[in-house]
Amino acid sequence: MTRLTRALGTVFAVLVGLFLIAPVAVTVASSLTTTSYVTFPPQGITLRWYAEVFGKPEFLSSFVLSAGVALAAAAISAVVGLAGGLAIHRYRFPGRGALEAVLSSAFAVPTIVLGIGLLQWFAQMGLASSPLTLLLAHLVLTVPYAVRLVLAGLAGLDRSAEKAAAGLGAPPFLVFWHVTLPAVRGALVGGAFFAFITSFDDLTVALFVVTTDLQTLPVRIFNYMQYDYDPTVTAIGTLMVLFAVVAVVVIERFVGVARLFGADTDHK
Amino acid sequence: MAAVGRLTGDQVSRPANHPRRRTGLLLALPAIVIFALLFVAPLFTLVANSFRTQTGAFTIGNYARFLGDPFYREVLWNTLKVAALTTVGCLLIGYPFALYMRGRSPRVRNWLALLLLSPLLISMVIRAYGWLVVLGPNGPVAGVLAWFGITPPQLLYNDTAVLIGMVHVMLAYMVLPLMGSLDRIDPTLVPAAKGLGASGWTCFWRITLPLSAPGMLAGAMIVFSLTASSFVTPAILGGPKVKLMPYFVYTQATTTLDWPYAAAIGFVLVVVTTGLLLGYSRLLRRGRGEVVFG
Amino acid sequence: MKTRTTRQEGERSMSTSTTEMAADPSARRGRLRLDGVRKVLGGKEVVSAVDLETEPGEFLTLLGPSGCGKTTTLNMVAGHLSADGGVIEVDGTDVTGTPPHRRSMGMVFQSYALFPHMTIADNVAFGLRMRKVPAAARRRQVEEVLEMAGLEGMAGRHPRQLSGGQQQRAALARALVIQPDLLLLDEPFSNLDAQLRVRLREEVVALQRRIGTTTILVTHDQEEALAVSDRIAVMADGVIHQLDRPREIYLRPATDFVAQFIGEVNALDGTATGGDTCEVAGARVGATPVGDPPAPGACVRVYVRPEVVRVQTGGDGLTGTVRETRFLGSRIRCVVATGAGDVTAALPFDARVPAEGEEVTCAWRPSDASLATR
Repeated sequence: MTRLTRALGTVFAVLVGLFLIAPVAVTVASSLTTTSYVTFPPQGITLRWYAEVFGKPEFLSSFVLSAGVALAAAAISAVVGLAGGLAIHRYRFPGRGALEAVLSSAFAVPTIVLGIGLLQWFAQMGLASSPLTLLLAHLVLTVPYAVRLVLAGLAGLDRSAEKAAAGLGAPPFLVFWHVTLPAVRGALVGGAFFAFITSFDDLTVALFVVTTDLQTLPVRIFNYMQYDYDPTVTAIGTLMVLFAVVAVVVIERFVGVARLFGADTDHK
Repeated sequence: MAAVGRLTGDQVSRPANHPRRRTGLLLALPAIVIFALLFVAPLFTLVANSFRTQTGAFTIGNYARFLGDPFYREVLWNTLKVAALTTVGCLLIGYPFALYMRGRSPRVRNWLALLLLSPLLISMVIRAYGWLVVLGPNGPVAGVLAWFGITPPQLLYNDTAVLIGMVHVMLAYMVLPLMGSLDRIDPTLVPAAKGLGASGWTCFWRITLPLSAPGMLAGAMIVFSLTASSFVTPAILGGPKVKLMPYFVYTQATTTLDWPYAAAIGFVLVVVTTGLLLGYSRLLRRGRGEVVFG
Repeated sequence: MKTRTTRQEGERSMSTSTTEMAADPSARRGRLRLDGVRKVLGGKEVVSAVDLETEPGEFLTLLGPSGCGKTTTLNMVAGHLSADGGVIEVDGTDVTGTPPHRRSMGMVFQSYALFPHMTIADNVAFGLRMRKVPAAARRRQVEEVLEMAGLEGMAGRHPRQLSGGQQQRAALARALVIQPDLLLLDEPFSNLDAQLRVRLREEVVALQRRIGTTTILVTHDQEEALAVSDRIAVMADGVIHQLDRPREIYLRPATDFVAQFIGEVNALDGTATGGDTCEVAGARVGATPVGDPPAPGACVRVYVRPEVVRVQTGGDGLTGTVRETRFLGSRIRCVVATGAGDVTAALPFDARVPAEGEEVTCAWRPSDASLATR
């Protein structure tokens, strides 16, 4: 009975695992097909579609745009998140309650609504599409995560360590540098990582902000998919998956992906 | 002495704290500016626009149009239906999976959590594209069905395709809170129930399931509201044939260029999703997280 | 919260009125027998060949430090862990392979394991519900057992609304209402404060005596074990070192471990001279052999508790010089330097206190000390 349940459990878990990796596995495999249409299992093996990707300069320029905006969003989110988190956690100031309320409600507003809100607001302000408007739009998505992660990191910091450092003669800046900052380092790395992924991956907001000359990678792929059904997209997908895998390995070293998403997988 | 704890409420009125207040404001300023200009202002613009005609006069016609038109009522209904079905799907797959995870070692659990989160780490567009391939006419599902001599049904551009794609992304949002709930259950409760004569099934129905209800509820809320408001996956897997609100927000704003109407649909969507979350947090506050189930 | 409910506990205790559950001595059941029970966890044998047999109605304690295998043994008795070897019998029936829900064991857990989503009444009724006891009878029995546990009026509350002591009683009520063959208590007092712990354990013993259910208690608290048990099994490293009545465990420890684990002890090395005597540092002393008397000439060790050592001038015994005396309130501690090392005596409060440097003799009754081969 128990052996049967255990076997059933394993079979079930394997099926769920297959379900979870199916789209990625199939994308990667079919990027190698020699056919001019996408098929799985792939027929034959070729790197032709990868050559095709690099032969299309518009994909490269979209990648550069996406990566640039994402890097900027990550850096700014980390800094703004650290400052905002410290302010909320340590200080009383006018507007603190409002800031907290806005931060938490930012999670509840659908991205598509933010997208048309920004579209209409930017239009009203007469702001034309540019990498800057894209970056500004993405900050709304990424800063709340950064602040939330910093707040969680600060909540776990024992204030007596800071007092001890101060008592040992460290001036405030050195206390911050040697005690406070290391305590929130994981949160900052996590916040920046989240910001990068969110910005790099965003299609919903970008669709409203971009023009035909200014397309992020997701927008470029989305538009390409509407007209072409050749395996180029699978090749791009595989490259992006590789990119994500590298990012995950790096982040797993620093903080642990599961913890980043708020999943405490350790037994307490 | 200036840095005593974070409960500094009693110090607020003291003049000595004015420099501290200024420091706090200074630190928070970038975040405040970002949210004032890029969150609050756009949303206000949106609300204002939703009460305007295309020419700018005040009207409630956009909302009346949405709620009065049977087509859009169907869109609203279908949005709720797909979100509800995704929630049920996540629960049916996620609950046994959470139980399976709970029985594993911390190391294996970490790997399983990573597996669950993997869909969230890949680009949305690529993920949805992957499902296009999997469910497409030359994909593995069609291949397996053809091998059994079954003519593959149309798997794409319908509710089922959207459902599959959404359950795939949302599973982690269901399983992780559920794990949290399951982990909080005192591990001696099930042995205690068994000792009193309860079989494995009885233990599950009477102990584990009711005690994991808060996690299920939290997961269901998140999955439901995220699904109702998601755009990319339904747009790619469902296309125009699957009538969901975010898709109409998009087409009204970019194709039809009826911005006020897009704003109104967007706002109905906000009401649907946040109303649900507000109701949930009120439920939690009233029951203090435990008495929700009795 | 805590203070409020502690007061309530002061007003009410487990009732001593006779109920249906009171024992009929002739019908006493609950003879537990373990024969060579083993358990391997994570490649390590945590319980090795444990043999044990209880009398019906007995209060038996498994005593040992954490990790000694006592809780594992209890869980095998309850069926929560399967035995990797050996036989577990209850009243002559082999239950080794029986799943826990088909055994009749009432267990009280360290955490009490009350179901947080059920009221106290529903918690207590759970076992009866599983046994398909009709609603009316169920209600009556729950009422009775709650009254017995001093929990009238708590029926409708949830566990979190009860104090630690009340939760413990509710757990006990839940375990007893099913009239189990055995009552298993896993460190049930360890989450209570010291005063309440002593009170509740006395109540539990009184209740156990009255209803006569064979009880196995697992604890690491030697004082608790001595206070409540008919017999104690002292466990270490998965093995029972000694199984005996509290007095014997205390005065006549069989092994170094038992001697050191429970209280303070004088361990004196010597040579057996036959029967219940041996020679320690040139003096002839008496002690009760553990098992067969050791052969003359064998290396032996005498265990003597400080409380049984008399310090006198002259007479037979171990001679030495008083090194230190200290007044400890209820006792006077006196350390005598002898040829076999320091001997500590805990003299009664009104005894004559020898002066430091005085030549004295340490003596004890042979029946109050044990003699073990080294």
